[in-house]
Amino acid sequence: MIEDSVLLWKYKRGSKEALCRLYEKYRSDLLTVAVNLLGDTNSAEDVVQDVFVSFVRTAETFRLTGSLKGYLATCVANRSRDCIRKRQRKWAVLAKRDEPMISEASNPVQLVVHGEDLERLSLAMTQLPQPQREAIVLFLHGGLKFRQIAKFQDVPIKTAQSRFRCGLDKLRSILNGDR
Amino acid sequence: MAKVNDIRALVKKLRYDTSLQRYDRIFDAVLQAHEQFEEQKAATMPPTIGRILMKNKFAGLAAVAVILLASVFLMSVFDKSMPTAYAIDQTIQASHSVQYLHIRAITPSHEDYPVDFWVEFAPDGRPKNMRLNLPDWMAPGGGPREVVWKDGKKQEWLKEKNILTISDDEASAAQVVKMIENLDPKLAVTRLQEKQRQGLVVLEIDEPTDLAESIVVTATSTEEDDSSFQRKILYVDQATRLVNSIEVYKLINGEYEYAKSLAYYDYNQPIDANLFILRDVSHDAEQVDLMTMGLGQGSHSHEEIAAEVVRQFFMAVMAGDYDKASALFPGVDASGIEEMFDRINIIRIVSIGEPIPERNCFRVPFEVEVEEDGKTSLLKKEGPLVQHLAGQTDRWAILGDFK
Repeated sequence: MIEDSVLLWKYKRGSKEALCRLYEKYRSDLLTVAVNLLGDTNSAEDVVQDVFVSFVRTAETFRLTGSLKGYLATCVANRSRDCIRKRQRKWAVLAKRDEPMISEASNPVQLVVHGEDLERLSLAMTQLPQPQREAIVLFLHGGLKFRQIAKFQDVPIKTAQSRFRCGLDKLRSILNGDR
Repeated sequence: MAKVNDIRALVKKLRYDTSLQRYDRIFDAVLQAHEQFEEQKAATMPPTIGRILMKNKFAGLAAVAVILLASVFLMSVFDKSMPTAYAIDQTIQASHSVQYLHIRAITPSHEDYPVDFWVEFAPDGRPKNMRLNLPDWMAPGGGPREVVWKDGKKQEWLKEKNILTISDDEASAAQVVKMIENLDPKLAVTRLQEKQRQGLVVLEIDEPTDLAESIVVTATSTEEDDSSFQRKILYVDQATRLVNSIEVYKLINGEYEYAKSLAYYDYNQPIDANLFILRDVSHDAEQVDLMTMGLGQGSHSHEEIAAEVVRQFFMAVMAGDYDKASALFPGVDASGIEEMFDRINIIRIVSIGEPIPERNCFRVPFEVEVEEDGKTSLLKKEGPLVQHLAGQTDRWAILGDFK
């Protein structure tokens, strides 16, 4: 956290190296959050880019009160939600036109560690309701606390915790073939 | 396919990455945005007030004077409004007023099956009522159980065995109080403070500026052979100064490994009095009053009482008092004892041997003279296992496993 404060201070005074350091530090974490939320590697990179671009434009007035990673992860989650809504509207339109919905374009974004369990987990994550997926991803990958997740989702803390637990239970069930 | 147990750890491993070229492409776009923004800023920024003022010598001096006065003023205001830095005493003080508490104990191997306690304290701070829900893994073979302690009486409901045990003696009460004292966050902090004074613990305090974040107190034991813990991390609420949770770590091979955590909820949220009453007990549950079971230890040593239990058991059997024998061997009822010795007529006790420690019990060897079909003979055996009753450390009985 101290390092982030120093880097931010330097960046606000024009240091591109500080910006580069912040980007390198969090790019992988944020990409992980975006892919896990969107289930779509194509859009995830766009979201990460948008978040950093937006950060650059608002950095001067930005005040670091907590974890920078948490803040950026929340931004990713916000943009991911927008992305999902747009996607749903687009699919609704395409469905009426009988056009294919899923792009088959390949993307080099891939799992850092391969394994059958992780491949299955990756698929299972897409089966979770979005609020549960958000709670899990923001807690385990975004480093947010439940209080912060609750604020983001505009629900009580216990609801956020419940979504987290239920989401994990569901993932376990899917992977263990209970469902 | 192997079952997935630690789903949390697996999700943490679910990380993604892309090629360096794509990362660089993203950063190029970010850098471009940064440069555009910098250009826009430079184009629209007016000359600073400072530069304007310093062109006029007298205006400059006046400006410096104003700044100095403002600094002095702000410092005095700032000092008064600065919140007090955290000290562990504050948590102890804040905890004095706690009357109700819900505690959850979590261990990593059974994360999904926590142990829940609810405690009501009397105004003088002593525990008054308690409820404990024990999951199965804490009492293998016994099954999940609910324990309540109210008005000095302890009741334990073993659901799967359909047994309700009751005890209202001082030893049970002391045991319950001791358990609560081990969990009480106020006492946990008080003990840490005392250990710090004795130089047995080093405390580090991290007090974040973000008031939404917890104060983190890291307590590291300086004793090499401290078996209770090597490190504890306390998370303290900034507003209330009350402990939200405690994580316990053990030092294993030079690394601190997470051992368990205690989370504290609902400070002073009144607990419904019905929570301290067992309401789900089956009407046909076997009720066992622990005060009538086993033999009180009194001033005997563990070995002496273990031997006495076996002696009195055989004396009861010889006298045909199978109810008394059953009370000394709680796993079997009177008719079961009678059936066990139906064909064995014990005439006399030859000897009760020196009890031998085995696991956390004692095995008590014995030799008795028996008569069977008119013939007498000596029967020498390794003997049964004897132990204090569960929840009654001063009452002893035969556990079983007659060898």
